[in-house]
Amino acid sequence: MSRDVNQVMSRVVSRLMDRSGTAVLTIAGALALTTLVMVIVRVDPAEAYPALIRGAVADGNLEYTIASFVPTLGMALAFAIPLRTGEFNLGGDGQMALGGVVAAALALRVPLPSGIAVIVPLAAATLTGALVAGVSAPLRTRLGIPAIVTTLLISSPAVALASYLVRFPLAEAGTGNAQTPLIPDDAHLPSVGESGYVTLGLPLILLLTAAWLYVDGRTVLGYEIRATGANREFARYGGVPVDRLEISTLAGGGAFAGLVGGLIVLGPPFRFVDGALTAPGYTFTAIAAVLLATGRPVVVPFTVALMTILQVGGQGMERDAGVPSQLTQIMQGLIIVIVAVLATVRHRAGKRAVAAAIRADAPEPGEAEARSTEPARAGQAAGVTEAES
Amino acid sequence: MPTDSGPAQAAAELVGVTKRFGPVVANDGIDLAIARGEIHAVVGENGAGKSTLMSILYGMHRPDAGHVLRNGSRIRLRSPADAITHGLGMVHQRFRLFPELTVAENVVIGAEPARRGALDLAAARLEVERLGELYGLRADPLAEVGRLPVGVRQRVEILKALYRRAEVLILDEPTAVLTPGEAARLFDVLRTVTETGVSVVLVTHKLTEVLSASDRVTVLRHGRVTGSFVTAETTADELVVAMIGRSLGTSQAPSRTSSRASAEPYALEVRNLTVRDRDGVLRLSGVSFGVRPGEIVGLAGVAGSGQRELADTVTGLRPPGPGDSGEVLLSGEPVRRGREPGVAYVPEDRHGRGTAPAMSLAENLAMGDHRSPQLRGRIGLSGRAVRDRAKSLVERFSIRAASVGDPISTLSGGNAQKAVLARELSRRTPVIVVEEPTQGVDVGAQEQIHALLLEARDRGQAVLLQSSELAELRALADRVLVMYEGRVVAEIPGDEAGDERLGAAMTGAES
Amino acid sequence: MNILEWTFVASVLTATAPVVLAALGGLLCSVSGIFNMALEGQLLFGAFSAVVVSHLTGNAWCGVAGGVAATALYSAVLSVSAVTFRADPVVVAVGLNLLALGLTSFLMRRILGTAGTYTSPELRGLPTLASLGLGKITVIGPVLGPQSPLVPVAFVLVVAAAWWLKRTRSGLRLRGIGQHPEAAESLGLKVGPYRHGVVLAAGALCGLAGAQLALGNVTLFSEGMSAGRGWVAVVAVMLGGVRPYRVLGACLLFGVAEALGFRLQGVGLPQQFADAAPYVITLLALVLASVAGRRRSARLEFT
Repeated sequence: MSRDVNQVMSRVVSRLMDRSGTAVLTIAGALALTTLVMVIVRVDPAEAYPALIRGAVADGNLEYTIASFVPTLGMALAFAIPLRTGEFNLGGDGQMALGGVVAAALALRVPLPSGIAVIVPLAAATLTGALVAGVSAPLRTRLGIPAIVTTLLISSPAVALASYLVRFPLAEAGTGNAQTPLIPDDAHLPSVGESGYVTLGLPLILLLTAAWLYVDGRTVLGYEIRATGANREFARYGGVPVDRLEISTLAGGGAFAGLVGGLIVLGPPFRFVDGALTAPGYTFTAIAAVLLATGRPVVVPFTVALMTILQVGGQGMERDAGVPSQLTQIMQGLIIVIVAVLATVRHRAGKRAVAAAIRADAPEPGEAEARSTEPARAGQAAGVTEAES
Repeated sequence: MPTDSGPAQAAAELVGVTKRFGPVVANDGIDLAIARGEIHAVVGENGAGKSTLMSILYGMHRPDAGHVLRNGSRIRLRSPADAITHGLGMVHQRFRLFPELTVAENVVIGAEPARRGALDLAAARLEVERLGELYGLRADPLAEVGRLPVGVRQRVEILKALYRRAEVLILDEPTAVLTPGEAARLFDVLRTVTETGVSVVLVTHKLTEVLSASDRVTVLRHGRVTGSFVTAETTADELVVAMIGRSLGTSQAPSRTSSRASAEPYALEVRNLTVRDRDGVLRLSGVSFGVRPGEIVGLAGVAGSGQRELADTVTGLRPPGPGDSGEVLLSGEPVRRGREPGVAYVPEDRHGRGTAPAMSLAENLAMGDHRSPQLRGRIGLSGRAVRDRAKSLVERFSIRAASVGDPISTLSGGNAQKAVLARELSRRTPVIVVEEPTQGVDVGAQEQIHALLLEARDRGQAVLLQSSELAELRALADRVLVMYEGRVVAEIPGDEAGDERLGAAMTGAES
Repeated sequence: MNILEWTFVASVLTATAPVVLAALGGLLCSVSGIFNMALEGQLLFGAFSAVVVSHLTGNAWCGVAGGVAATALYSAVLSVSAVTFRADPVVVAVGLNLLALGLTSFLMRRILGTAGTYTSPELRGLPTLASLGLGKITVIGPVLGPQSPLVPVAFVLVVAAAWWLKRTRSGLRLRGIGQHPEAAESLGLKVGPYRHGVVLAAGALCGLAGAQLALGNVTLFSEGMSAGRGWVAVVAVMLGGVRPYRVLGACLLFGVAEALGFRLQGVGLPQQFADAAPYVITLLALVLASVAGRRRSARLEFT
């Protein structure tokens, strides 16, 4: 009896070690390499790192960090939701920018009663993001073009269109700035706390994240989405409407990106400033965070928090220690690469047993037609979708 | 009649070869001598150790004990590349060809003729033509291999080996993918090849082939040599005894107590089903049959005779095409597209379709039932209900797994297959479609799986069983339907479904 | 044709050259069975390292060599992760693209001491062919005159790659490795070294592309100056498959779009539309090709 308990305990412990081990190893590796970069270009790590931490959590900065956490978490969901079916959404920038511009246009041009002056632009931004991302879905399901490419290709024109709208039809008259006028007070997102940086967006996005975690882990829909990501043919065989799910998850991810755009525009400084949505690099910070979570959705809010601290802290580091804030981008890139490598290394042992069987089931040469025109289904080999559960 | 150990110096010889995979002994002290210029058949049931033995001869596995001789001297084989340098060639059951290269490129790649540093494609083409002429292996050197029919691809594989000067040519189940005409042509070619002094090792489980095409036969059973014969001096019965340890006549057939079925209406009825693929090529042509509750109907045929299309249509997985006609009825109702809930389905492709290898055993066991109320907690899909149900299935179907939370890919082939069966059988659907239930499964699990299928039948489920193991069909099926080129060409009662009768029908001879 | 139209052809070639060089790298990887999505980051890294070396040495050709060498080295990260460790090349590429963005912006501030855009009269760009004495000849003069020598090199490399793949032993073996690695392995071909080789070669080609972009098309470096060209190269590889001339065609399509956008900007089209045009056209081409490909591949399947 007690031996059974011990066995169970040791299993649990080893699993935890295994999992947190990967994250720790990833971050340690990224830190080591980043430090190496610092040393090479003669930046003093002993000065830079404390400045980074101060920049993120010191008085006055913490609030700004929390404010940045909101869009980053939103963009993390924009990436993570389609990833659960195995699709990469790299077009967050475009979905966010168009969402933001639609929110700004509605707030500026359509007189809305104060009760819904916030809700309507946000809803429209969400819908816009969903539509922009949704365009990629039929291209994937009907034509087999990977979403990773189409989302990205659509993103640039979308950002350009938003930029055009802000600079011309919606531009603030009289000033030379590429921005819209201030949106009316009724459409301002109510702030939470004192400084005004943190808005109602924080509880909203937390609530939506909780909802997503619930759907993913505890509902039939979540199960079907995960099954589609793990093996599309298996899901189809089980009666799962895989094409429909792929469309919904891509649109769902885009919806979050659009919402983030709306939240930014309706929050301080209460206008759409051209470039202000995409410049902080929320999209890729979020992607690094999601990949760092290696297929465990519950961990996503925490990795997002970590990445936000790095991102915001980087700006503090630039102010305090004169170290360019792009250092954090380097760290994020390294994290993604290391995660990808560790994912396969860790799974190699487990896979070896299956490898023989899989090799026997390798497609016959004639069936390998899609090889040159379509990259392997994104993320499956690295286990960033469901392989970790 | 066992013969002497063959000519003084064999072209290739395996001496005392033993190979273990974990606790399983795949080859146990096997001696095998291949004489120069002979066709040597290696036969045995699935799992008898044929494939492992050939993998050792071709350098893909290294034996735990024993060694390989070529022309009397010992050689070391660390990889197939080594085997090729030692004059060994192999045609795998799944071809190893480069689909987008031409025939000539496929033949010469890795040992290309060159002129002034550049590839000499003209020389390659001439060489392919010369070899083709010599051995009767005609193939257009400039054709892209991916566009060639299977029979021609096989010729390319043989050309590839001969170009590399193979003196011992191993063919693994070469007729599994061939039409009867192609098979006949293949054996003609092999005869020509041996006349030039090349030895052929023919791995098969089809006794008709062995008797008609080989010079000598070695029989394997449970990893040991149980018989060695000169073909001309042996009979099918003698080979069967060596293969399965007893003759077929005295075998104790499992209880075939499905007489209750005969009176009931069909649970599954296929009426005049015609199906075309995307290019309009006929895949199923006027197929009609029925399966009654409490009956196992076997489906035999050379691979690609329409079995896949039939299963996909019956289970509803195949999207209807413009060239389709006919009906599939489930207790009188047309089958639902997308996935018919009234048909359980154990697919042949366990990794690609039957499971999601990375998901947990519990999650794999939930597929298909995941919308059912039993798996719902108060809020959505209950993790606990999914696990509890998985645990009860693991127990009931004696699936060996460390934990239902582990990925299903950690299970052995047999246990993964049992998991698929457990999931599909436990739904108690009126109809079950089963494809190759014991492929890649160890002997112990095979028996359990057979018992499960018989149990399902006895419960009154209607079972459609597709298998390339004729022995399996004989043991389980009440009737066997034989498919050939998209048609059902014969219906043979289970106890009359001998290899020869089935074989003749499968090759279109009885249509 | 008058001078104006010849200059348009010239601007098409200028716009196409960096993309086709990067796409050629992607194509080689694709032939070997690895989908290289890291071209964008490598192109950016190539442009940056070419500018830095040119800045440090005062010699544009040293810059080209430096860009090629440094980017090949950068590409080794992909080759080690994806070939040695078998990591998912797509995920690694996402990381590498981000890393390149961060590294170039960071190092730019540390080494070149400026943010945004670096340009200096002391920064040596590549000479034009006209300055090398090619300007006088009809047709060739106006078309190739304003180009750097790397532009004709880019197009010659396409021909060379096509010949190499089709007509040499190593080219044939590389194609085989991409189509069926196990079969190639069993014939004694070394899959790993071939794949490492092409991934590094792709890095070198992206270095060349970057050098052309930063020292040929212009003489400056600005943050994110690859501006999606690497992604266009990825799409060109998707469109062209493993056929060099088709990939070249796709790249030319992009070149025409960019040159046209640039020209329309001159007559008052907002810059945003000119920026978006290449992406929109690339996407449309991808969609149309896929629709056509769907029809064709249905016929390619066999029993």
